[in-house]
Amino acid sequence: MLTAVVLRFLRSKLFLTAIFFASFTYFVVNFYSDNSNVLLSNEEVDIHDVGSGRRPLGHIFQWQGSEDNNETSSKPSSCRNSVQGKALIADDKGYVCSRQNVMPNGCCKAETDGTKHYSCETCHNNGCCSIYEYCISCCLQPDKKEVLQDVLGKAAGTLNLLLTSVTDHFELCLTKCRTSSQSVQHENSYRNPRAKHCYGEAPPPLETEGTVDKNNNEHFLH
Amino acid sequence: MGFGLQVVKCRNVYQWKDSRQRQPRNLYMSVLMLFIAIITFVNSDCVINETLPVSKEECDGIVESSQQVHFEFSSKVINNEYIVAFNGYHSSASRANFIAAALNPFSSSGWKIVDRQNLAADYPSDFDLLRIPQQIEVDGLSALRNHPLIKRVTPQRQVFRTLKYINESNSDEFKEFRRFTGRSSLSLGNTFWHSTGRYSSRRLLRAIPRQITSVLQADALWNMGFTGAGVKVAVFDTGLAKSHPHFRKIRERSNWTNEKTFEDGLGHGTFVAGLIASSKQCLGFAPDSELHIFRVFTNNQVSYTSWFLDAFNYAILKKIDVLNLSIGGPDFMDQPFIDKVWELTANNVIMVSAIGNDGPLYGTLNNPADQMDVIGVGGINFEDQIARFSSRGMTTWELPGGYGRVKPDIVTYGSAVRGSSIQGGCRSLSGTSVASPVVAGAITLLASGVIQSGGVVNPASVKQSLMASARRLPGVNMFEQGHGKLDLVRAYHLLSNYRPHVSLSPSYIDLTECQYMWPYCTQPAYHDGMPIIVNVTILNGMGVTGRIVDKPTWHPYTPQYGEYLHLALTFSDLLWPWSGFLAVSISVSSEAAQWEGLAQGHVTFTVESPPGEGEDEPRRSTVNLPIKVRVVATPPRAKRILWDQFHNLRYPPGYFPRDNLRMKNDPLDWNGDHIHTNFKDMYQHLRSSGYYIEVLGWPFTCFDARNYGALLIVDPEEEFFPEETLKLRNDVEELGLSLIIMADWYNTTVMKKVKFYDENTRQWWMPDTGGANIPALNDLLTYWGIVLGDRIWEGEFMLGGHNMYFASGTTLSRFPADGVKVWRSLKDQGQEVLEGELTGGTELVAVMGFYQTPPRSPGRIVVYGDSNCADNSHMQKDCFWMLDAVLDYAVTGGEVPLAFQENPDGSDLELSNGGSPPKRMEGNQLHRYSKVLESSGQLDSAQPQARPLPSCPQPVFSVPSPLNKSAPTNLYQSQKLLSVSIDSSLPILPVQDRLLHNPFQALSSLDVDQMADDLPSGYRLQSDWSVSTKFALTIMTLAALVLFYQFYRNRNRPRRTRKSPRLKRVGVPSPNLSPTIKAPSV
Repeated sequence: MLTAVVLRFLRSKLFLTAIFFASFTYFVVNFYSDNSNVLLSNEEVDIHDVGSGRRPLGHIFQWQGSEDNNETSSKPSSCRNSVQGKALIADDKGYVCSRQNVMPNGCCKAETDGTKHYSCETCHNNGCCSIYEYCISCCLQPDKKEVLQDVLGKAAGTLNLLLTSVTDHFELCLTKCRTSSQSVQHENSYRNPRAKHCYGEAPPPLETEGTVDKNNNEHFLH
Repeated sequence: MGFGLQVVKCRNVYQWKDSRQRQPRNLYMSVLMLFIAIITFVNSDCVINETLPVSKEECDGIVESSQQVHFEFSSKVINNEYIVAFNGYHSSASRANFIAAALNPFSSSGWKIVDRQNLAADYPSDFDLLRIPQQIEVDGLSALRNHPLIKRVTPQRQVFRTLKYINESNSDEFKEFRRFTGRSSLSLGNTFWHSTGRYSSRRLLRAIPRQITSVLQADALWNMGFTGAGVKVAVFDTGLAKSHPHFRKIRERSNWTNEKTFEDGLGHGTFVAGLIASSKQCLGFAPDSELHIFRVFTNNQVSYTSWFLDAFNYAILKKIDVLNLSIGGPDFMDQPFIDKVWELTANNVIMVSAIGNDGPLYGTLNNPADQMDVIGVGGINFEDQIARFSSRGMTTWELPGGYGRVKPDIVTYGSAVRGSSIQGGCRSLSGTSVASPVVAGAITLLASGVIQSGGVVNPASVKQSLMASARRLPGVNMFEQGHGKLDLVRAYHLLSNYRPHVSLSPSYIDLTECQYMWPYCTQPAYHDGMPIIVNVTILNGMGVTGRIVDKPTWHPYTPQYGEYLHLALTFSDLLWPWSGFLAVSISVSSEAAQWEGLAQGHVTFTVESPPGEGEDEPRRSTVNLPIKVRVVATPPRAKRILWDQFHNLRYPPGYFPRDNLRMKNDPLDWNGDHIHTNFKDMYQHLRSSGYYIEVLGWPFTCFDARNYGALLIVDPEEEFFPEETLKLRNDVEELGLSLIIMADWYNTTVMKKVKFYDENTRQWWMPDTGGANIPALNDLLTYWGIVLGDRIWEGEFMLGGHNMYFASGTTLSRFPADGVKVWRSLKDQGQEVLEGELTGGTELVAVMGFYQTPPRSPGRIVVYGDSNCADNSHMQKDCFWMLDAVLDYAVTGGEVPLAFQENPDGSDLELSNGGSPPKRMEGNQLHRYSKVLESSGQLDSAQPQARPLPSCPQPVFSVPSPLNKSAPTNLYQSQKLLSVSIDSSLPILPVQDRLLHNPFQALSSLDVDQMADDLPSGYRLQSDWSVSTKFALTIMTLAALVLFYQFYRNRNRPRRTRKSPRLKRVGVPSPNLSPTIKAPSV
């Protein structure tokens, strides 16, 4: 008796329709949700994972030549510059000037006293400088190309990750002159606090014991 | 979970949305239910009522960690009111009769049954509330108790509850693993909350706001069409999965660790990124921002400065706009890291960082959040209380000579906030790690709005706007809340109308304003005192560099006695990057030595920055700093105590070990040892006992002993200059200064034992002193025949009726015969540390000594062997009562209190138990961090020698230029930067198609409580465009199917001659008109 009722119920159109609707809805919803996910990942998400260690194809590295910064391009339309400096700014033409002498287009006023071109002030022979802006200017010298090609070729680890993202000479100098993983010893102190900005391949030479002691030095100055 | 009151509401309609991304089975069921719901128009509210032990997840269909409201209550007895409990239930009339019968002898005395006006009053009850006049209280109560039907009579209590949200455990909550010197991610593991009483007390489960974005009214900005588009946000964390369903625009992922993966193995990075940019379920603030994921933490929570340096350089190269650092560490002397953070802000990267999870202790700020150019974010809970874990100020960079800056800058929700989980759902997490991305996300959203309208977005303008628009929390001081709680909408108004200018933090100095200006408001200024220093941060929105033109000028207000104040102003030569400091040292002139009152004035200065883009003239901005000081007459000498700050050394830079050797998980002494940091409670106690406490940030040669009753030397790590030793001798013997010394342990063998390998610097760290520098202290005290020993003692004992805990301390090894010694039995903790177990028993040692220096001077010396009982860091039992007694002895010249003279039998022993005087550890590097020692030669083996004594600071008071004006009495004007239009509603621009518009989103002013109770609205906000589209599609499909079915039936059953009007109602998908389809729902 009971089974008959159940069977009749199971066979009833009503029940079958309900099942059909439910299944169909499930199908429809699933179809749409899958579909939209695909759309999402194709259109919206283009995630670039950095870390291949190689320069992406199609990126041509722009070296700064010695010929294009003479009379022909004496009035550049605009410059990128080093942005951050306390007092000095280096622009992408290799000029270093004080902040007051930066023109609205971002370039240094070349004519002004105190503005220097391709200056290696405060830089040592090993390619390390005390002042960031001079490091950039020095690094932009056309004859530094060979040194920099070595840098690009030989950088390892996370530093390499950084340098493979650089697209031209100025960006390379901007980036290479910053303090980086190469600049530190024991993680929390500079290898050489007095010459920590290096465009060259070699890390800053370690300062000899005794002079590392920051507190001592400070006190001598008092 | 436990039992508890739970009120959870949910509706099936919303349940479907939330659960559909979980799993197909759920989805299937939900769709079926939805279908039925639509057909039947049954609005089946699922209401779980109070007593059911059901978690709300069962109703939501969400599996997530839950939050609980920790429920603390205190109660007080209400006089004359009693609860009379009966045996069994009776109607109110019969209950009144019983009481009347019992109180028959006192019928005229005016007792009264208090009406309880609630629904239960109509039903029989087993108790009544009775008010009895005092005169018959005793007799009346006993009469009641004797009545056979009355079970008991108890006093009525009034219960006060404070609710505190607690993050209940989450199964995949990752462990807090603090690397002591390195940076760690600042979220909390569940172990944090395992405090006492949680499982025994009653708890109330209350709904928590579903969406952090709704609480902060991000909807208002979304409705204007801003969603973070075009803003580059960098998340420096543990990485993120590429295909996480919550994120729309992950632009780039980079890995800077030594693990070869981009994925997040911990969930921290996912959560943080989710708060910024999640677009589903638990929403982030800026779903359309461009995410740059920087993986700088390994799954073992390891990171190195060098990784950060390269990753930061990459962020500069990629021109990141907003950078979130939910990480931090105590080392603010990691110069390469600090320089790099400056470099980032100088390159226009807005840095947001978590202030740290080391609260409620003070002096626990983490770097880089404590830097002036970084926005340091603290955490609050959803009840607007500062979260317990949130680190407190002040900054301790400036010690000992200066005073800390105000940090955090701003606070926001950081406790039990919901965000993305690693598997794709939601979870909740607590910590300033959570608060930081809330602010970073909010800034991203703000920036996307302001950039479109051509506004100014730079690290300073954003910080200035956030601080000026923040809502101050009442009763919380500035070292806990900074400028207050983030207010996104107000910040938007400020930032969109921003003109580059200079502002100050704090923006005024009102030393009378409690609680906000704690601790300044707790002690007035007076003549002859050490200057009160307020360290003001200058924010310059005009450019990355700036300079103060001329000098700041001090304008005392003549009518308000401003001339009684002498101000010495020191300031940054160059404001870079975007910021600088102005330190205001306030002294009181000699004319006001006997004067009491308020003195006011203001400091004003102008900052100049290079011209902006397209400008010719330098930018200039002038800012005023109002000052208000309460001045009192100089207190008598006996009430004045000097705290020696100069001889406290701390981590960083060196390894100064903890003062309590049991605290193995916190090996460093890093809170600054200042009366306003980890000795805060001691300071408060002494202030409330009437003492005035001043801080000496210079050598002992820099104070006049005739002004002070006692000098407190607590836990000194520094050496003493020979000149200091001589001067102190004279101060005590000739000038009657008393010394109170709280020492700590020193044992070279134990010091070698507690060395550790530091992951961050990849070096072995050997402590340079013990808990305190006992050899130096002995040098200072041997003149009086006082010597402390090298054995380390621990134990509990009774002293003067108080329980004392001697954590890790030294004891007397020599003491003058006429001094009073306090002997107690203690365990040899040094042996326990060295051998791993305690073998010997207890020994009698002299923990304390009182000494009256030779008769012609009143100078006295009190030495106690341990400082932990005054230090909040690891305090178990405080000994403030003892300090009171000791100070009383030291400054009044009375006898040694009797409490200290009750020695156990066998006293008058030899002091040999204390051990021999310790020698300085061979080869220690103290001279590297010391202000007193310097290494004598190039070789480390050479004995370090004392440096030349530095000269004492001579304050250069700025020349006052008085003004004949008065300032308002209340300097704080919370609304001063805001126009009237701000509280009016925001313009609602055409909503982007992806944002579902609904009335709940336009909530213009909603408070947290409303949000908490208004759960369904929170639910609606979770919708996004795909869900809504699918929803519509499904309904359409269903409607079509229903109609098809009806059509089919009608065609197959021509006997039922229903006319076609039914079929014409195509446009109304109202399936319930068909009575047969209703059947399945029954």
